[in-house]
Amino acid sequence: MVFKLYASPFPVAGGGIVALVLAEKQAAFELVPIDLRAKEQKAAEYMAMNPFGRVPAINDDGFVMYESRAICRYVDEKFAGQGTTLVPKGMKERALVEQAVSVESVTLFPPLDKVVWEVVVKPERGLAPDQAIVDTGLKEISDTLDVYEVILGKHRYLAGDDFTLADLVHCGYLPFLVEKGVDIMTVKARPNVARWWNELMSRPTWVKLQAEGMKSTV
Amino acid sequence: MVLKFYASQFVAAGNGIVALALAEKQAAFEFVPIDMAAKEHKTEEYIAMNPFAQVPAINDDGFAMYESRAICRYLDERFAGQGATLVPKGMEERAVVEQAISVESMAFAPPLAKVVMELVFKVRRGLAPDRALADEGMKEISNILDVYEVILAKHRYLAGDDFTLADLVHYAYAPMLAENGVDIMTVKERPNVARWWNELMSRPTWIKLKAEGMKSTV
Repeated sequence: MVFKLYASPFPVAGGGIVALVLAEKQAAFELVPIDLRAKEQKAAEYMAMNPFGRVPAINDDGFVMYESRAICRYVDEKFAGQGTTLVPKGMKERALVEQAVSVESVTLFPPLDKVVWEVVVKPERGLAPDQAIVDTGLKEISDTLDVYEVILGKHRYLAGDDFTLADLVHCGYLPFLVEKGVDIMTVKARPNVARWWNELMSRPTWVKLQAEGMKSTV
Repeated sequence: MVLKFYASQFVAAGNGIVALALAEKQAAFEFVPIDMAAKEHKTEEYIAMNPFAQVPAINDDGFAMYESRAICRYLDERFAGQGATLVPKGMEERAVVEQAISVESMAFAPPLAKVVMELVFKVRRGLAPDRALADEGMKEISNILDVYEVILAKHRYLAGDDFTLADLVHYAYAPMLAENGVDIMTVKERPNVARWWNELMSRPTWIKLKAEGMKSTV
């Protein structure tokens, strides 16, 4: 049975990073679009797969799981030996990738999520953004990126000289800001971050996903 | 050279979970206390190990890393074959553990941090808690625990019938709630969560760690 990805049909957020990982691993999959506006993720059928009622989720020939970052690790392992290696084999190299993945989820993501809510989601619903929340969030993100600047002065990607899951997870939400004209990723004061970000945004799998959208490969 | 564990002396947060993982793995280590009040985490020496200037960090015979959840994964692998197995060998079993760890860091920890800030830290410092924020946090935690209740009806621990890193990461902040009169982890309405939480709180490694505090094994 083919690998099924249950996600919102837009190449963003958790669904977007899983789609990107599937592309990096050259893995065949069927997209089952979940309509978030119609709250399909809260329907009993979906909740049976993910009791937290969130997207994305996968069903790999009967093995069901959720949480995009966990799915990414599973996909890398399941399709080991094809495509890009997203999590290195070596124990120490892998630990450094997990370290960087943790920074994204624990330190960068919380303020980013808040800012995206204000500048992307609220306007879509006809609500005005709370500028104080935006400013505080952007300051926190900027402080984190100042450390990225130091890290990226030492090697090409966040966990070493190879592209890994640690870099990939940054493609879920930061592009929202960029799309809204927030240039925090490419400011001149952080040339290493800008170089790294431009590399991520030029990565062929990313460019193709954004151009073609979320779609089954089978 | 023996593993060095740099942390605050308080058995809580990331410091607490790495100390617990070290105990679970029966690992030999030297505890190097970092005095946050004296800003020891902001010294050049410490920042060289963790550019984000947070605790904890480890230095395993020259291999330095930070981010508590990443450190725990490294310790489980580094000390494989001794103590508890915190991350299973099987691909699918491991994926389910990573799924549960992701829920803790992305969904459980943020509202918990809100509640701990208002009802524990502020109160300790004689500041008035923001009741609205605390209530909001409690509601979010309760929503997550309602799903844990469903999950914990199916197996003994969060990712199956064995204690894993998915359970261990929950020792970071939730114990502080009960210690400060907030009994959300053991309410009658969620008997499975209460049973699971009581098991975690009775685990011998935790009891010993709380009783004896952070200290070197060498």
